[in-house]
Amino acid sequence: MTIRPIPILSTLSRRLAGVEAIAAGLLAAAVAGLILLNVATRTAGAALFWVDELAIYAMVWMGFLGMSITIQRRSGVSVTILTDALPPRLHRAAALLVDGIILAFSVFLLWLCWRWYDPLTLASVSYSVDAFVGETFNFIYREPTQTIGVAKYWVWLIVPLTAAAMTVHALANLLEALRSPHAAQVP
Amino acid sequence: MTVAGVFIVLLFLAAPIALVLGITAVTHILASGDLVLFESYPQQLFSGLEKYGLLAIPLFMLVGELMNEGGVTTRLIRAARVFVGAYRGGLAYVNLLANMMMASIVGSAAAQIAVMSRVMTPEMTRQGYSPAFAAATTAAGGLLSPIIPPSMLFVIYGVLAQIPIGDMFMAGILPGLLLAFGFMCAIAFVGWRIGFPEGEAIKGKAARQALLQAAPSALVPAIIIGGILGGIATPTESAALAALSAAGLGLFVYRDLKLSALPRLFRETAITSSVVLFLIAAANVFGWIILHEQIPQNVAAWLNGLTQNPFVFLLLVNILLLGVGAMLDGIAAMIIVVPILLPIAQTSYGIDPFHFGVVISINLVLGLLTPPVGAGLYIAAAASNVKPGEIFRALSPFLIATLIALIILSWQPVIVTALIR
Repeated sequence: MTIRPIPILSTLSRRLAGVEAIAAGLLAAAVAGLILLNVATRTAGAALFWVDELAIYAMVWMGFLGMSITIQRRSGVSVTILTDALPPRLHRAAALLVDGIILAFSVFLLWLCWRWYDPLTLASVSYSVDAFVGETFNFIYREPTQTIGVAKYWVWLIVPLTAAAMTVHALANLLEALRSPHAAQVP
Repeated sequence: MTVAGVFIVLLFLAAPIALVLGITAVTHILASGDLVLFESYPQQLFSGLEKYGLLAIPLFMLVGELMNEGGVTTRLIRAARVFVGAYRGGLAYVNLLANMMMASIVGSAAAQIAVMSRVMTPEMTRQGYSPAFAAATTAAGGLLSPIIPPSMLFVIYGVLAQIPIGDMFMAGILPGLLLAFGFMCAIAFVGWRIGFPEGEAIKGKAARQALLQAAPSALVPAIIIGGILGGIATPTESAALAALSAAGLGLFVYRDLKLSALPRLFRETAITSSVVLFLIAAANVFGWIILHEQIPQNVAAWLNGLTQNPFVFLLLVNILLLGVGAMLDGIAAMIIVVPILLPIAQTSYGIDPFHFGVVISINLVLGLLTPPVGAGLYIAAAASNVKPGEIFRALSPFLIATLIALIILSWQPVIVTALIR
């Protein structure tokens, strides 16, 4: 039996992007719904104080999910005048290099998030936030949200999640591009 | 120097600009040895988006998606034809008028050019206009979109400059009308040179029907402009209300919008907004470089040696940005340029931030229609089967009109500030 990691990874990347797109769409609907709720409750004289902050977090999560999709589809805004003028071989090399750089950045961002959340130290102090702060001077688990009554690190979780998803997409894109004989970059 | 090198190499390698900004910031941190910044790097990306004003971006995108899907565009164009359809060259003016109405609904030039090119260019060609001129008129009309409120570019500028977005929208109204007037002159000039086909008037019952059908569509811009003008709603809230009314129109009045299409529209809204949000998040870490390297101070010192005059300064900025806008996407260019140039404009030259914002917005959207990177030009070309080069030649009267409007606006800030409370 042979295991073929590249098709599995590509499928994973595509499925993941599909899930991300659905979640991002739901969050977009949530943003619209929450702002309308805010207008309605304020007009009725019973404004809800937590709606604006929740709407902003919905928008930020939508944005981060969308960023990951942008990586998967290679649809970010870029300057292509120079690479378009290159002969096919060099064009392909430039595209591969960019795929590699995106992968490196995604891994680096994931590593920064790992250091930020520092789960091993947190586990080593038996999940005591006080001991964690004393050990690391890292206040991540102390930060509150303004109005929604949830610790901020839950909201910030979208950054490591996006970094992980971006790593999957970037790796799949790079491996697919390496395997295909044609230029990798879709214009 | 290494940092600038990394920025330029990555940019021209066609890496996504958002990542170019993010990676340049990483290089800066490594080069400066200020490694403690890495601890807040992920958080800084997050906080770049944590702003109330940015909520307007997905909401205005949603309004645009709903209007396109709901069949509002075609009804607006029919109504515009009632007003100016009968004159010689009427359809060219109809195109402009319809673009002005669309501009008060849609917030993005590229989106507007894509929609209007599909509708207006074939219609003008059918009536005997040259396809290149038809495509050029439509593409130029799209430039009104980011100036006449609502405007995605103004939302982003308002967030970057930390000024009220509602006031920024007000600031765009008179300059938008000035630009539209300039385009009318350009059309009249072309008509005088080469002659236009007769217009086909819509009369009597058909005219009344066209106006009646389009009347409910006026609700959407009325909510957006009225809500902001009256101070009843924030731009974000007006956008949400506009989206609600657009959905209502499409679902119940025109019945072109299907409930089953909504999930797709929300997904597309999310993904297209994210392209912009990605840039804004990355700009927040890129901002460290601008701050630490004291780029505004250095550029200001250099510019102060050249001129003390605000008008001359704005002309220099215009020349610089025409170059930048020809290379970079307008929103990306704005995100990079505003943190550098706005402090200089305000502190060294006493320029009003609204005035500065309107001038650079018009300048940067012009880049949509100029090669080598003009996305609007390629969208118009693809939608109308005319070569980009031909459209660009037919665009020249419009580009000259825009340049004249830019000079007038740089010279007279009152056109921008008159409507702001």
